[in-house]
Amino acid sequence: MTSMDTAFTEPSAPFNKSVFFIPALIAGGGFLFFILLAATGHPEKAWLVYLTNFMFFTVLSCGGLLFSTLMHFTKARWSHTFAAVAEAFSAFFPVSFVLFALLFIGQNYVFPWVGQDLHGKEVWLNVPFLFARDSGAFLILYSLGFGYLYHSLKFRLKTAPQNTRLKIFLFKRFEQSLHDPETIKRRMTVFAGWYMFAFAMCLSLIGFDLVMSADPHWYSTLFGAYTFIKAIYAGFGALILLVSLLHLNPKVPFTLTPAQLADMSTLFFGFSIVWGDFFYSQFVVIWYGNIPEESAYIVERTMTHPWSILAWTVFLCCFILPFIILLSRKIKQSPRCMIVISSCVLAGLWIEHFLLLGPSFLAHDPAVFPIGISELIISLGFLGLFSLSILAYFKELPETLKTNSGEGVQWK
Amino acid sequence: MNTDAIIVTGLYNTQEETLAAVEKIQEKGFEVTEVHSPIPSNALAQALDRKKSRIGWFTLTGGLIGFFSGFALPVFTSTRWNLIVSGKPILSWIPFFVIAFEFTILFAVLGNVVGIVTQVGLPDPDYEKNYDPECSGSLYGIEVASPPENADSLRDLLDETGSLKKQRETK
Repeated sequence: MTSMDTAFTEPSAPFNKSVFFIPALIAGGGFLFFILLAATGHPEKAWLVYLTNFMFFTVLSCGGLLFSTLMHFTKARWSHTFAAVAEAFSAFFPVSFVLFALLFIGQNYVFPWVGQDLHGKEVWLNVPFLFARDSGAFLILYSLGFGYLYHSLKFRLKTAPQNTRLKIFLFKRFEQSLHDPETIKRRMTVFAGWYMFAFAMCLSLIGFDLVMSADPHWYSTLFGAYTFIKAIYAGFGALILLVSLLHLNPKVPFTLTPAQLADMSTLFFGFSIVWGDFFYSQFVVIWYGNIPEESAYIVERTMTHPWSILAWTVFLCCFILPFIILLSRKIKQSPRCMIVISSCVLAGLWIEHFLLLGPSFLAHDPAVFPIGISELIISLGFLGLFSLSILAYFKELPETLKTNSGEGVQWK
Repeated sequence: MNTDAIIVTGLYNTQEETLAAVEKIQEKGFEVTEVHSPIPSNALAQALDRKKSRIGWFTLTGGLIGFFSGFALPVFTSTRWNLIVSGKPILSWIPFFVIAFEFTILFAVLGNVVGIVTQVGLPDPDYEKNYDPECSGSLYGIEVASPPENADSLRDLLDETGSLKKQRETK
């Protein structure tokens, strides 16, 4: 047994129980603070942060898994190391679904249009129909994601010992449906294709229903596409952050070569331009048309204090900085630099979610900066929850981090 | 390189074989004049101890010139007439960005072409003389220069390093 195998099979491997303690504490603290804030007179603030974080971490996890499906679908070889880590993001899917269901409790605060005269839009914007179609969308998307993951794990767990309940369950299922590698790969391709299609459709719907509807009289046809492009950008950013952290942690037997990281970062750089393009495409049409019902939304968010500060921060963090900094190949090869840049982009995208929703939830007050300590504490709670999901995945399935795991390896 | 020297091009299947061959050929004192690769390869550039290409700077300079000229052109033309259209300002930076973007791409490409012409020495009429079209497919080619009297030992060396039987030879 090699030293790497030992590291994976021993219970004292990098993902032992102690690493769960801090994220669990933060998640618990964030949750308690959310309840406290919701119960003590600021439910709209609490639910605004909840919805912002729910959207942010949901698109992050969906975008993360999309990387693996995209790479499999295009038969890319350079990205196997990243694809293995990208699949870990699917561990947040069940949590995301539960968090979505919990939105039902706060429906009077989450949907500012409840009780408003919607001038005929009630047919679409009513709470039961919204929950029914969005739950359906999440179920379809997450089932396809898990379908893909299940087949991918057949390769990744090939040499794994059956030392956890999850693995024993999976191996039983694998034995019941033994197939040759080509069949499994074909099935992965089918699941990957449908996942990517569902990704575009479902995230468009979620974007329309949960974000755009916060201002029920404003609409932008491109908003759905903008939502899923943003999800890809966020997912890739989170993936770079995660692989860089894993690479820098000496206890984790996961390494990257500078060339691999540079390639991934180039793709990330490309998506910063795609994000900027979609942002601009929406913006320029509204600017040209200058119809009050469309431009009021933009004017409020980009030209009135304090939201204008957030708008410029988003533009700087998500486009200007990554565009200029990522021109350098040296920076793209450095995990430390990439941690800083991807964190900056992710922070920008978080603020962007907050900016899109905030003005519809909070009364306009130029003197009050909308992001305070309570927003940060609840958001840290969500980050803790997200980290817990990823850690749980790697604890249960540490073999997925092995170099050369995956479909490239011969199936016996 | 000696003017009487002959050039033998060895063809290899993989990058690893090519890297090992380059090392061995240089060890034996032969001059590797060129390596053709079907994909961009940092490892090969390092093995040949090549300087970092400066073409990127030409592209960047072209792009920057394009970006600012792209704004300058509509600003100049708009201020010649001062016509207000649809109540928009004369200097409307938001739509001007479209022209700036297109100019950035155009000038970056032109800068790139200038870089290739001045830095790489292309177009080179002799380039194809030692070039095997399969180096744009799946094979790697190493061009080695040798005085005519050492040609046999060079051919043996190439065979030894795993070169495919198909080799090109020119003066």
